[in-house]
Amino acid sequence: MTTERLIEKASVRVREAIAAELGSDLLLCAYADINEQGRFAREWIALTDERILLLNEATLQTESVLVSDIRDSYTEPLVGGGRLVIQQKCAAALKLYYSSSRAAVFSEVARALEQLPAGEALSINAHLDRLRCDSCRRLLPEKNGICPACIKKGETLKRITRYLLPYKAKSAMLALSSAAITAAELAPPLITKRIVDDVLVPSGDSPAPVDQRLALLLWLVLSLVGIRVMSWGAEWIHGWIMSWIGAQVTSDIRSQLYRRLEMLSLQFYDKRKVGALISRATRDAGMLQEFLVDGLPYLIINGLMVLGIFGFLLWMSPSLSLYIMLPVPILMVWGIVFWKRMRGYFNQWGQVWSNLTDHTVETLTGIRVVKAFAQEKREMATFARHNHRVREVAVRTAINRGVFFATITFLTGLGMLMVWFFGGQQVLADEITLGTLLAFYSYMWLFYGPLEWFGQVNDWMTRAFAGAERIFEIIDTDPEAYENPHALRMPKMQGGISFHGVRFGYDKSKPVLNGIDLDLKPGEMVGLVGRSGVGKTTTVNLIARFYDPDYGSISIDGTDIRQIDLRDLRSQIGIVLQEPVLFSGTIAENIGYGKPGATFGEIMRAARTANAHNFIINKVDGYETQVGEKGAGLSGGERQRVSIARAILHDPRILILDEATASVDVQTEKQIQEAMGHLSRGRTTISIAHRLSTLRDADRLIVLDEGRIVEQGSHAELMEKRGVFYDLVQLQQAVAQIIAIKE
Amino acid sequence: MGSDNTQGETKSLNAITPITVTHPERVDIDALRLFREPAWVLRLTIEGDRSYTRIKIVRAAPLSHPDQYISFLDAKDEEICMIDSMDQVDEPARALIREELDRRYLTALIRHVTSIRNEFGTSYWDVETNRGQREFVVQNVAENAQWLGDHRLLIVDVDGNRFEIADLTALDKRSQAAVEQVL
Repeated sequence: MTTERLIEKASVRVREAIAAELGSDLLLCAYADINEQGRFAREWIALTDERILLLNEATLQTESVLVSDIRDSYTEPLVGGGRLVIQQKCAAALKLYYSSSRAAVFSEVARALEQLPAGEALSINAHLDRLRCDSCRRLLPEKNGICPACIKKGETLKRITRYLLPYKAKSAMLALSSAAITAAELAPPLITKRIVDDVLVPSGDSPAPVDQRLALLLWLVLSLVGIRVMSWGAEWIHGWIMSWIGAQVTSDIRSQLYRRLEMLSLQFYDKRKVGALISRATRDAGMLQEFLVDGLPYLIINGLMVLGIFGFLLWMSPSLSLYIMLPVPILMVWGIVFWKRMRGYFNQWGQVWSNLTDHTVETLTGIRVVKAFAQEKREMATFARHNHRVREVAVRTAINRGVFFATITFLTGLGMLMVWFFGGQQVLADEITLGTLLAFYSYMWLFYGPLEWFGQVNDWMTRAFAGAERIFEIIDTDPEAYENPHALRMPKMQGGISFHGVRFGYDKSKPVLNGIDLDLKPGEMVGLVGRSGVGKTTTVNLIARFYDPDYGSISIDGTDIRQIDLRDLRSQIGIVLQEPVLFSGTIAENIGYGKPGATFGEIMRAARTANAHNFIINKVDGYETQVGEKGAGLSGGERQRVSIARAILHDPRILILDEATASVDVQTEKQIQEAMGHLSRGRTTISIAHRLSTLRDADRLIVLDEGRIVEQGSHAELMEKRGVFYDLVQLQQAVAQIIAIKE
Repeated sequence: MGSDNTQGETKSLNAITPITVTHPERVDIDALRLFREPAWVLRLTIEGDRSYTRIKIVRAAPLSHPDQYISFLDAKDEEICMIDSMDQVDEPARALIREELDRRYLTALIRHVTSIRNEFGTSYWDVETNRGQREFVVQNVAENAQWLGDHRLLIVDVDGNRFEIADLTALDKRSQAAVEQVL
């Protein structure tokens, strides 16, 4: 095994200073960010296999300790950070303080400091978290996450547009209708210009006769009508297709995201909060849809329009265009600056609203408590306070919004005045026609409109793209190896399980299992015993391959489980958990979950074996009783028996019972015990139970402590041995007696 | 259960419970000695009773009463005793307590806000604190900033670091404006 090194980037000064003391063969080099005086400053720690060096970045003062002089080292969590304590054999302890930002790194450092003096090879997680964006050096909102400021918008847009590919015809129609709408907006001022110049006030020495002008007028008005009709049709088609495509594309992305979420390993889920993932699946996708349906068409049409108008304006009168452009920079700056402020108000508004609703929901759901303590008055007062705040913020938001639009109107008004003033002069000087001036006037309205909102568009786009980027990040994560073509098919297992020197930790620096060797014969029933947190659940998680061991291996019937087809493996493992999860649907559907296509007869047989049949037929709807997300309407014991029936129908070779009876009363436990007895017959069963009495039937008990097997044998043998197990039983009996007396 | 035989129950309870209950509040504060011996080991001794090394000093109400209700914990995080106020111990002990508390509570007090950029629902702060200059990121400020009083604000950044503004109105105008913008 190669030694892992954790080396953080240091300035040249620091690197040289460290090299001068320790040479260049460093195992580890990391910095703490709070100094002894409690100020933010860097203190470096560097290790070789012989020496530890501490270095103050500002003063370059060093302190060095021989690894052999270390007695003990550990990290201690503080409020908002922690400290690393290195106890020396015969000198003061060394302490390094760090903020929470550095806590992960320092848990690795502490681990290294445990391994080195023990003469072990360094095995730490040397992967450094990316805290800052690589390109703009901004701090990242999520470690190793994306930097919202540096998303390559082009790339993301390209990727989003790739989702449009399956809908080529509709996309083409969309582009066409966008162009048509733009054209329909741009054309009318040109026609009115002709109405003015050629029909109403014809210029030149010999104007056309009146009846010719009348005919022309009719044509021009008719074409205006034509344009209106076209515009109406185009907008209709455009709106329809855009919503269709927007909804379709986001639904495509959403289902791709969901498919990927289902296939990702549990390891992935351990690192993230489920809430954040749900928000990705709904909020980020929603934001993207909103952008695709509202934002993008708006951007395209208005972008085209602004360009088109600008072209027309320049073509008609370059000098007059210049005057129109004068307020534009102010308008845009105002839009951007003010939009930022408005967003602040909107956020605040959302916040005070949610405070108000939270308070209302909380007190109304807890109304019994409020009344029991006679606190109605106080709650009313709190509500009044929140309400007052909502009013305050609402008023301020409204005022600011008013100011915003008033200013915009004022600025655009200035542009209008300039057009009238300078344009009027040009008309009088015969430089432009009256029609041109009027066309100018109309274009200006069209021109300023979109500009007001441009300040907002960038922000909008960034949010939507950041959402898209977060979704893509998950879509790009590697799924579990279900589709490995080299995997060994094992549709019929015997159920013999062996662990060979298995070590594992969810966090690599904190091993939960510390070398487990274990052999289970097919059909054997063993109980895993130990205090909470010693690695019982972890052990069974490894058998189902929710995680792979860091060292060592696990095999089933002599085959390493990493080589077994994952589907074959899991389809032959049944798990009954402490808090059974039932999905919405009927009881029958839930039992049938373990075996798609099971007949009703099979389902009933399973329920009978699980001691569930009786309570089920006593329900009004029998097997068709609806159960909710957490099995609403069923008691804990009933849910548990449904989940056992599910496992029975699943018919696994290997059965895992993880605290299956922990949350039910003694009466129900007996029934469940019996059901589990039926279930475990002839299957390799691993049962984890808090109540040791439930494990009396086990062929063998395995006692875990601190990630190691400390005792094993039958119940009687272990009691005789008077070791860890004996102590546990004694303690439980004492507690049980106390409870019995109290009851 | 009936109330008439409570006495008997209590008796039998005592007979079979091997668990000893400690009563931290019974420690006589006057017998409390806090000192360093040797210089790098903080010891807590209850005169004539017991002595602890590796003790932890924590605040029971760190936000509202930082100088009151100071609790002493042993190496297993069990409370040894609590003092209701710093006045209950002599000055040298008080200094030691202050020093330990300063080390434990790494919250930084914001003195000046250089800039806050709010982009894409994330805010980037650059501040001067009593511990020096610091940059940090807060996601969703509304959720991660907590008003502790009318003008007192606690901000928790993405890593769980804590920053406090003791009195917003006491900051300079620019800092105030910057904070108000994001809240």
